[in-house]
Formats: sequence, structure tokens, C-alpha cells
Amino acid sequence: MDAQYLALAQMAVGGGLMGMAYALVAYGFQLTYAAGKAVNFGQGELVMLGAFAGISLAGAGLPYWLSVLGAMAAGAALGWLVERVAVRLALKQRNEGWILLTIIVGLFALSSVENIWGRDDRPYPAPWPTGAIDFFGISVTWPELAIAAGALGIMTLVELAKRYTMVGIAVQAVSADPDAAELCGIRSRSAITLSWAVSGVAAAFAGTVIGPVTTVGPTMAAALTLKAFSVAVVAGLDSGFGLVIAGIALGAAENLSGYVLGSGWREAPGLILLILALSLRPQGVFGKKIIRKV
Amino acid sequence: MIAGLDLGLREKSAERILRIALFIVLGALPALWHGQYALGLLTLMAVYAVLLIGLDATVGYLGQVNLAQAALFGLGAYGTALAVQAGAPFYLALPAGILAALLPGASLALPALRLEGPQFALSTLSFATLSVIVLNESESITHGALGLSIVRPTLFTVVLDARGFYWLCLVLLFIAWWASGILLKSRFGLSVEALRDSPTATDALGIGTLRHKVLAFAWGSALAGLAGALHALNFGYLQPAAFGYDLMVMLLLGVVFGGRRSQWGAFAGAAVVAMLPNLLSNRILFSSLVGCGCALTLVPAIRALITRRVPSFRESAPLGAMVIALALAFFASNVEEWRKGIFALFLFAAVVGLPDGLAGAVAAAMHRFIRFTPDPLPQAAEGVMKSHTITSALPLRALKLSKSFGGVKAVDNVTLEIGQGETLGLIGPNGSGKTTFINLVSGLYAPDGGSVEIAGTRPVPGKLMAAFSAGAARTFQNLQPFSGLTALESIIVCQRDGGKPEAMGWLRAVGLEANARERCSDMSYGDLRFLEIARALSTRPRLLMLDEPAAGMSKPDIARLVDLVASIKRMGLPVLLIEHHQDVVAELCDRVAVMDGGRLIALGTSEQIRRDPKVIEAYLGADDEEAEVRDQKEAHAC
Repeated sequence: MDAQYLALAQMAVGGGLMGMAYALVAYGFQLTYAAGKAVNFGQGELVMLGAFAGISLAGAGLPYWLSVLGAMAAGAALGWLVERVAVRLALKQRNEGWILLTIIVGLFALSSVENIWGRDDRPYPAPWPTGAIDFFGISVTWPELAIAAGALGIMTLVELAKRYTMVGIAVQAVSADPDAAELCGIRSRSAITLSWAVSGVAAAFAGTVIGPVTTVGPTMAAALTLKAFSVAVVAGLDSGFGLVIAGIALGAAENLSGYVLGSGWREAPGLILLILALSLRPQGVFGKKIIRKV
Repeated sequence: MIAGLDLGLREKSAERILRIALFIVLGALPALWHGQYALGLLTLMAVYAVLLIGLDATVGYLGQVNLAQAALFGLGAYGTALAVQAGAPFYLALPAGILAALLPGASLALPALRLEGPQFALSTLSFATLSVIVLNESESITHGALGLSIVRPTLFTVVLDARGFYWLCLVLLFIAWWASGILLKSRFGLSVEALRDSPTATDALGIGTLRHKVLAFAWGSALAGLAGALHALNFGYLQPAAFGYDLMVMLLLGVVFGGRRSQWGAFAGAAVVAMLPNLLSNRILFSSLVGCGCALTLVPAIRALITRRVPSFRESAPLGAMVIALALAFFASNVEEWRKGIFALFLFAAVVGLPDGLAGAVAAAMHRFIRFTPDPLPQAAEGVMKSHTITSALPLRALKLSKSFGGVKAVDNVTLEIGQGETLGLIGPNGSGKTTFINLVSGLYAPDGGSVEIAGTRPVPGKLMAAFSAGAARTFQNLQPFSGLTALESIIVCQRDGGKPEAMGWLRAVGLEANARERCSDMSYGDLRFLEIARALSTRPRLLMLDEPAAGMSKPDIARLVDLVASIKRMGLPVLLIEHHQDVVAELCDRVAVMDGGRLIALGTSEQIRRDPKVIEAYLGADDEEAEVRDQKEAHAC
């Protein structure tokens, strides 16, 4: 009986740590949503591209840390590109064309990856020790810890930058009211572009920490977009650290249902909860209530 | 500019002729073009066309990104396949497929009702993922990933060969196309479009959001089920993975590529999605197609350069996408491997360069060369403004209404009544709570305290529909037009009873008879304000609330407005009028209520109000500190 509970706890902890990665990708959604009320429906593809960029750089002989930095730089460039080609026009016209255009850009990215890196899953080389650490009978591997530390680290850094640097405060001003910010001499467009670049960095970094735990392949993208987006929306697109809780909950729920119901059903309870959560609280569990103004 | 060719045709008739011609050609194709392979493609195209016409109901008309259509298609296919396995005859297999998609589709619409934009897209995406999981994992029923094989049953006693089945698909496509056209051009379809453009206005005018959303979604799901049923009977082998994310993206993009809000667009999108793999397998065909794309996208860029402008993003980006596609056509070793990428490039060019899709671009070109005879307008009905039924109950009784936002008391203990046939003016400085008061009465907000009684009934607080049912109709300070509809259509969706002549009558009453065919998105600001009043009047309310109708209006328009409100008054219809123009208020209102800082500070005739010291203080300010503090509070509230 005890062993049963321990196995469940093991599953929950492993899933929760993976859920931190979902939270990190979801954080990218939050950043761009705050800046321009748009999100990238191809964010999963950015994660995948970041991971593949890291693999290629590591394969070219760069040390792990440099490959991660390189991947993050690539992520920034890609985030900027997505904003430029898929979002800016739609924001200017104030319509929701960005949903389609980001899907389209993601589709092209997916196709490029399939043709450049191939359709097979690849391992991501990382210098972590192979052993596991034991916490009261629950074992945690180093790559899993790296996900948690990396996700929290990046989110904390960006949040600090948002609060304590001039640029960060300017970005917050733009997310509150782009027109008013422009009148105060802030270039709204630059702030939005910056948010997308940072969102790309978060996605690419997520790729480099998820890679060593799972593997890297073209099929990872769609599932990641859905999970991360679920986390972001359930937590509320403006909820700050609420998404860490939502991410951990989703990751744990996935692992537990995979263990209890069978691996094919892994994602089902999370999805049902998601639909329910959305219909009960459209603004998200931790989100602020929306007041309609006329 | 080339003068349009005048054929004396109405656009509707021209469309009908073209559609029938299309179906004759499609029906005759198998006779001219032998080969099982081509026939298979045509069948696939017809099935996809049914599916996309269904998807267009939500994506185009409802304006929500629906990512569940591929999964509903799969559910329909499995429903039919399982029914056939259980021995159902042909004529029951089709309804089985429709039901298998319709029931889950309608039940998804219920929780998704309150959602919009990204949240709606996400809930449909979750549903789609969930459906594929269920199909995969219910191995005892669906055989999971192994797939399910069926043999097509006979249609009564006829054994359908491939050609017969294709013709059956065509007939069903024709019916689906025709029915969708009728449904979505009807009042129901107009309501769905109104809902897309302004859910607040549809609720406030009693058109309702709930049932239209569910019905539009259900219609789309039913067509997905029908398409799925045909798909199952066509292929005879199903696998859950075929109905996943990839297909969904292709379908969504197909609709956009073809053109939203058009059955022609859905058909064009279906043709592209079905034919795409074959276009790519023939290298010469593909290269020439890309070449055409390049040439077409060059036109706007060159046109910009000739006028010595740097081409805008909209003019240059499609060309960029086509150049990448051209590079792929020449350098990629296997173009078919790049299928998704090339599709993405074409779509990108189409979405950016042709916002209305292929069908929209062709229709625009046709309009340039052919002058169609416009549909005749109905004769305006006389006397719409005369017949207002007066009830004995007080039109409005608001008792001690309060509403706070955070620390700001936007409306603070306001009690106000409007008598029979009375026009009550509500004035006050900006941020004094006038609009919030109307929002409370019309049910946009639920009050924190107090009650509202409209024409003798107490509507459920915080429900626009409830307040409307009680008899309140309103206009909006920030316009809420149904941008995709014409002026006449805007009235038709709002009417409770009466037909087009009455709708024309309302337009004439506000002086917009000449604009009947004009789209709201093209109308001027002042005209839209009058249209909002006509919309509210056409619901035959017991209380009319006008929120700053003269804001931003020109002098002559204000004079028109005064005449209009005066004639509404003569109907005996009680009016609550928020207005900043004091001359308008003085001329029209029997009594005037003044609000400041959320409180009602004065109530009386216009003359009394003008001399009231509290009112003068509210507008011109006083020296005491209290007023200053209050002003600061208001500044925050704004």
C-alpha cells in the first residue's frame, strides 16, 4: 500500500517538474499577450527550433553552455521574426489575423525542421550527472532539476527586469495602454518587438532544458503548444506566477493519469479539466475579472 | 477605369447560374476524364467541400477560430463506420455519422459559449485532442491505431461503384451548399454575423448570443459529420491519427485561403487542400504554379515602386513568400517532402495579400468588370413611429442603485423614476456615473445594491437579455455597429416582428433610407449613431435609453437628432437621454437629473437645474477643499 502511494508521489513529482517547462513556455505566451494581446500559436515550434539549434551547436563542438546561449539567441531572432511577419500587420488592423498567421509560420517552421534535421527524435546531449537524487524515497534526476531551476531562473530574471529596469517599465507601460505610452515618448512597437524576442528566448531555452529529459523531434511542437497554452489560459493570461502552479498541476495530473489509466490516456483528464476551467472562469483561475466597457 | 459591363443581371442570379454550371461540369467530369485516381481526387474534393462549408459557419460567420472540425469529421466517420459494422443500411449510416459529430459538437458549444478569441480556439483544440485520444484508446470498439475497415453497404438495392458514389457526394454537396446559403443569409445568419461584430449589442437588443452560437456550431458539426460519413464510406478504412492536428491546420487554412463567409470560398479551399499533394508531385506543374504566384505578387510591389513608394508589408511580404517557394522549386531535392512548408508559404501570401481569400478576390474582380443590377429595396412602411403601446406600469423605477469599481463608487445610491411618455435628461460632468447608471439599468452590470424595475417587471440583475425582455433598449456611447451587415440588415436582425417594409420604415424615420444597402463599416460616424437609434426603436421598446447620441455629431446632424427625439416623444415612448449638449437637453427633456461623483445631486425642470447651486458647483467647481478632493477622485475614475 505504501509502495503504491510512493509510486504515485514519484509520478506527481516527476510530472510537476516537467510542468515547470510548460509554465516556462506559457510564460512566453504571457509576455506577448501583455504587450499586444496576441500569442504565438506556433510557440511549440519555437521550442523545437531552439532545441534543434542547441543540438546542432553542441554537435559542432561547442560546450553545452554556449550551445544553450546560442539557442537563446536564435530564439530571440525567431521571436522577432514571428512578430514582424505574422503579428504586426494584424495588430495594426486590430483584428485576430495573428491566430492564423502564427499557425502558418509554425507550419513552415515544422516543415523546415523535418527537412533540415529529419523526422526522427534525437537525444539532447547535456553534461548532467546520470544518477538520481533521493528525497524521502522519491528520486529526482538532474535534468529534471535543471528544468525547474532553469524555468524559475528565467522567469525571475525577466520579472525583475520588468520591474527594475527602464526598458522593463516602458514595456509595462505599453501593455497598460500603447497609445498613452506613445504619447509619453515610448516606442510601442519596439516594446512589443522586445516582448516577442524575450518570449522567443524563453521558448528556445525551454527547448534546451526539455531536450535532455524527453527527446527532440518534430512531433513535440503541437503537443507543447497545446499544453503551454492550456497552462497560460487556465492560470489567466495576466496572472504572473500563477502559471507556475497551473504548470505543476498539469504536469502532475498528466503523469498520474498516465500511470493510473494507461499511457494513452495521459492527456485526457488535463484536457477535460481545461474545458471545465475555461467554461467556469474564462479569465483564468488566477486572472482578473474582465469588465466590459461600452 | 473600365466601365462595367451591364448584363442587367442581379448578383444573386449570376451566382446561381455559375453554381449550377459548376455542378454540371463537376458531374460531367468522370465521363470525360477516365481513371480511378482522378475520380478518387474529385470525391475527396467534394467531401472536403462539405466539411469546409461547415467549418466556414464558425470561422467565417461566427468569426471564431474553430480547431475542432477535423476531430468532428473523424467522429462522424467513426460513427458511420461503427453503424455499418453493426449492419446498418446506407440510409441509416449517413445519419449515424451526422449524429456522432452533432451531439459532441453541440455539447462542446455549451461550455465554449462564454469564450471568445484565443480561449475559444483553445477549448476547441482541447476537444479535438481529446477526441483523437478517445478514438485511439477505445480499442475494443475502434481497434485503436490498427484502424477500422468497413465494406460500403448498398444504397437500397443499388451497388454504388466509384462513379456512382462520386455523384452521390456531389448531390449531397449541392444540398449542403444550398442549405448553408439559405441558412446563413437568413435572419439567423445575420444574427450570427451581428454576434461576431458586437456581442454586447446583440445581447442588449435581444438578439441573443447563446442559441445562435450553439446553432451555428451545431450546423458546422452536422456538416462535419456528413462529410465524415461520406469519407468513411468512400475509403472504407479509418485511423484516428488521420483526424489530428495536421488535418485541422490544413482545413482551417483551406477556408481562409478560399475565402471566408462564402460557400464558393469553402469549395475553392477544399479543391486546393485535396489537390495539393498532386500539384507537388508534378514538378513542372508545381514550378509553373509558383511562377504564376510570383508574377501575381510582383504586381502590387511594382505598382508601389512606380508611384515611388517603398512597398508596404502587405505589398512585399507575399512576394517574399513566393520567392522562397520558387527557391524550393528549384533547389529542394524532393518537393513533396516540403508539402506543409509550401502550403504554408502559399497561405501566407494569400492571407496577407488577399484578406478575403480567392473567392473574395474573384468576386471583387467580377464587380470591376460587370455591373450588377442591385436587389430591389422594399417600399418603406408608413407609420412605424405612430404605434407605441402604452402600459400602465412606470417605465423605469430605479431604487437606491449602487455600483463600485474597486474603491470608486461609480453610482452611489441613486433613485430615479421615469413617468409615462416622459423624456428624462441625465447630465453631469465626465466620470460622474451616467453611463454606469445606464449600464446598470440595461443589465450590462449587476448592481452592488438597489433594484431596477422596467415597465412593471424586475429583470434578473446583470443580464442584458433580461433587461431587454422587460422592455429596455439602448444605444451605446462607444458605437457598437454590426460592421459586416448593411444598414437594412442591421434593422432586420433587431426587429421583433414586421418585415422588410417596416425595417425600411425605421430607416426612413431616422433619415437613412438612402443608406439602406450601405455596409455599417463604410458608414459615417453620425449615420451610425442614427442607425443605433433605429435599431433600438425597431425592437419596439417600452423604454429607450440614449447614451450621448449627439457626441461627435455635426451641427446639422444635431438638429436632425433633436427632431428625431421630438418625434419619438410624440410616439409616447419614454426616453432616458444622456447628453452633454445643454441646449439639446433643455429643448427635449421634461425633467433633468444631474449626477456628480456617482450621486444624484439634482432633479427638476431644465430651468430649476440651471439655477441649482450644487449643479453650478459640479460644473464650474467651488473653492472648498471637498470639491477638489472629489475632482481628484473623479480623475482617477476616468
